[in-house]
Amino acid sequence: MSVPADNLMTHDQSPRLIVDGEPVEFSAGDNALVAMLRAGLHPTGGGCLCLAGDCPHCVATVDGVSYVRTCQVAARPGMVIKRHPLNGAPPLPLNDRPGPDTIARHLHCDVVVIGMGESGQAAAAEAQRNGRRVIALDAAAGQEVIGIYPGPLVVARTGDGMLHVHPREEITIATGAAEIHPVVPGNHLAGIVTARAATQLASAGVDLGRVVAVGTLPEGLAAEQADGELIRFEGDERVEAVVMRDAQGDELRMACDTVSIGLGLSARDALLRMGNGIVAVRVVGEAARSSDIPPCPKAGMVCHCAGVTVDDLESVRERGFHELELVKRATLAGTGTCQGSVCLPYVRSFLADRGEALQPPFTARPVTRQLTVGEVAAGSYHQATPRTALDDEHRRLGAQMERAGGWWRPWNYGNTDREYWAVREAVSLGDVSTLGKMQVSGPDALELLERLYPTKVATLKPGRSRYVLLLDERGYVMDDGLICRDDETRFTLTFTSGGSSFAELWVRDWAEGWGLDVRLLNQTMSLGAINVTGPLSHELLARAGLDDPPQYLHHKIATVAGVKCQVFRLSFTGEVSYELHHSVADSVALWRRLLKLGADLGIKPHGIEALLKLRLEKGHIVVGQDTDFDSTPRRINHEWAMKLDKPDFVGRQAILRTNKLPLDRQLTGFEMEGPAPIEGELIWKGSDYAGDVTSSAFSPVLGKAVMLGWLKLFDDELPVEVTINGRPARRVPTPFYDPEGARARA
Amino acid sequence: MPELKLIAATRIVATPAALDAAAWPQGALALRVAPDEALVTAAITADMVDDPHAIVEHDTGFVGAWVESDEALDFLERSCEWELPRERPAFAQGSVAGLPVKLWLEEDRVLFLVPVPYATDLEERMS
Repeated sequence: MSVPADNLMTHDQSPRLIVDGEPVEFSAGDNALVAMLRAGLHPTGGGCLCLAGDCPHCVATVDGVSYVRTCQVAARPGMVIKRHPLNGAPPLPLNDRPGPDTIARHLHCDVVVIGMGESGQAAAAEAQRNGRRVIALDAAAGQEVIGIYPGPLVVARTGDGMLHVHPREEITIATGAAEIHPVVPGNHLAGIVTARAATQLASAGVDLGRVVAVGTLPEGLAAEQADGELIRFEGDERVEAVVMRDAQGDELRMACDTVSIGLGLSARDALLRMGNGIVAVRVVGEAARSSDIPPCPKAGMVCHCAGVTVDDLESVRERGFHELELVKRATLAGTGTCQGSVCLPYVRSFLADRGEALQPPFTARPVTRQLTVGEVAAGSYHQATPRTALDDEHRRLGAQMERAGGWWRPWNYGNTDREYWAVREAVSLGDVSTLGKMQVSGPDALELLERLYPTKVATLKPGRSRYVLLLDERGYVMDDGLICRDDETRFTLTFTSGGSSFAELWVRDWAEGWGLDVRLLNQTMSLGAINVTGPLSHELLARAGLDDPPQYLHHKIATVAGVKCQVFRLSFTGEVSYELHHSVADSVALWRRLLKLGADLGIKPHGIEALLKLRLEKGHIVVGQDTDFDSTPRRINHEWAMKLDKPDFVGRQAILRTNKLPLDRQLTGFEMEGPAPIEGELIWKGSDYAGDVTSSAFSPVLGKAVMLGWLKLFDDELPVEVTINGRPARRVPTPFYDPEGARARA
Repeated sequence: MPELKLIAATRIVATPAALDAAAWPQGALALRVAPDEALVTAAITADMVDDPHAIVEHDTGFVGAWVESDEALDFLERSCEWELPRERPAFAQGSVAGLPVKLWLEEDRVLFLVPVPYATDLEERMS
């Protein structure tokens, strides 16, 4: 229901808010709860009210946000309140969700003081006198602390968003004490308030009618003292009488409009229980007091949030739950809206009455308040996916972009077949800027790489490159790439796109651990890389000014289409290929010039989809897709990339040991007629499980499906005839295409 | 938010002693991103660093923008969990708005630097 804005002030200009669709007047200084009580409305229909943010009885949906403590928000003209159903949860808003645009502000200090009552102010002043930077958070000033986290981090909700406060030294808890609520039959009725709440309401001018006080008298208003033991409240929705029992055992019924409850105080220490162990936490004032323990409840609702009665406590106790933490888990008492503020004193009292030692309050965990998704997400960012310098070019060319290897990359440019054939028959460009690139220099550079890699790096001459595996200490394949020797003491390493970040850490960690004298520079994000591939690559590069390109597995610095490049000759596609590494500032110019120069050669860019098919035809693995966490060079059929006669390298000892064990499975090639099965498809030998497919594609050039997959050995033999997707398939050697590598070396 | 522009710089990896002793061109910003690495906003040649094995590479891998101090600090208060240095000028680096950002803080302005692959994300998150 909507109410016209000009209808939100009465004729005498009293402001109004809207409760369940009806305008309700309020006075200056009212919070939303006081405004409702002034109008005779209880937010949840009933339950003892504290006006201090401790209890669950004043929550309502305010301006579309559920579970708002109406005693903690100032009344505003036009504020829309929907009362929560009695003993029920409010419906989640479907079309009116608050946007996830709540901001978080980060503040730094030495000491954060939570609560600015008398003790909080004193603590803050003392810290300031001692030269500490102090931040004070006070719920009364609209800064509601909802959690303490490792860091340490104190998170508070405000009207303008979230505060993330980072204290260096100490968190001072000065949150005071909460009043103990009554647990007797009838405590769900309206008209029951704590003594402090009664005082506040009276001073706000709310008519409380005839007030009967149980326990401590409220200050500043006339109330009739009820003596004896509280037995029950009577009434229909609203309290009409309170029943006490005197010392002789006689019941005394006292008619009333309001009952004021003064049963003692319980330390408001949830944040203390949350912060202990995370950081230095000091508690001052009433929050440090020993909580009063009320008499053991005999009947009635103990936990209104979770609907736990005294009978429920008795029931779980009889089933063997005698510890406070276990009772909490068994009943959910203390896990609801008020986080145990109301029920905890009574659960402790109950267990003590049943012969258990008085147990300390249970551990508190964030958060202490219901939060919106926006409040939870405030200050967090989704992980950004980096883009190459050619990202705009790809999108301009109509590429379908995907996240691959941790980067945004072109999956295809709309026609994978054309891209594929451009590589096989003409010339194509691929953006391989995402590959890891690292320079290694220094007197110990060769020593570092000899120890890290299973190949003999010393035999690599300047200007030459070599495919290498990177192994961990257990001999498992972590990554692969190239070692390129620039001169005697300088090398360029490449890594896979997805593995480069970890590989950098790996190289740095070993270099430092071994105490080697090397310099390391990660250039992954500083250098672009374009792969020129296809049988007409030579022609394209000649047009771009590179008449003397490097030979296969050689590299050199040259100018290509006006751009200084380090040119690497290699091949992942199976055709002649050159990787042009260059400054990212030149990526777009180089890309465009090459496309222009190759226009009449049938040049097209290719995406990842075509690239994966092209490399599969050559049997090239993709680490992480075709390898498992425990893939050794032997298991992936790459023993040729490892020189075990080297004195040592990372993983060598483990490989020598595991090589003595019988091979149990191996990555092998398969082919079959018809369409390619999906990757992950199971491989069968008869009715026996034999492995799974890791890479699969229909090969246009071969006219059949080709696959890589893990295959188990049966009686020390790899089976030849298998079944995949219910169809016959054959194990075959790789590469599937151009096994002699003549095209790549052309 | 000012447009992020490519920063022409030089990355130098050398012994800490060589970097400590190096004299950078007048007016260049020299950001010591690690004990053994500097990012200098000028053309540097290998002979300016007393380390025969130093890696000295012209680098265009960062984009950056100067932002007025008030605006920058307001953004950083919302997007940076760690505490900024209080002295000026100062260099700082770490996660800002979830991105790997380098900051050069002066009294009245702040230089934001981010690797080129995150330029779009920083622009989006600052706007």
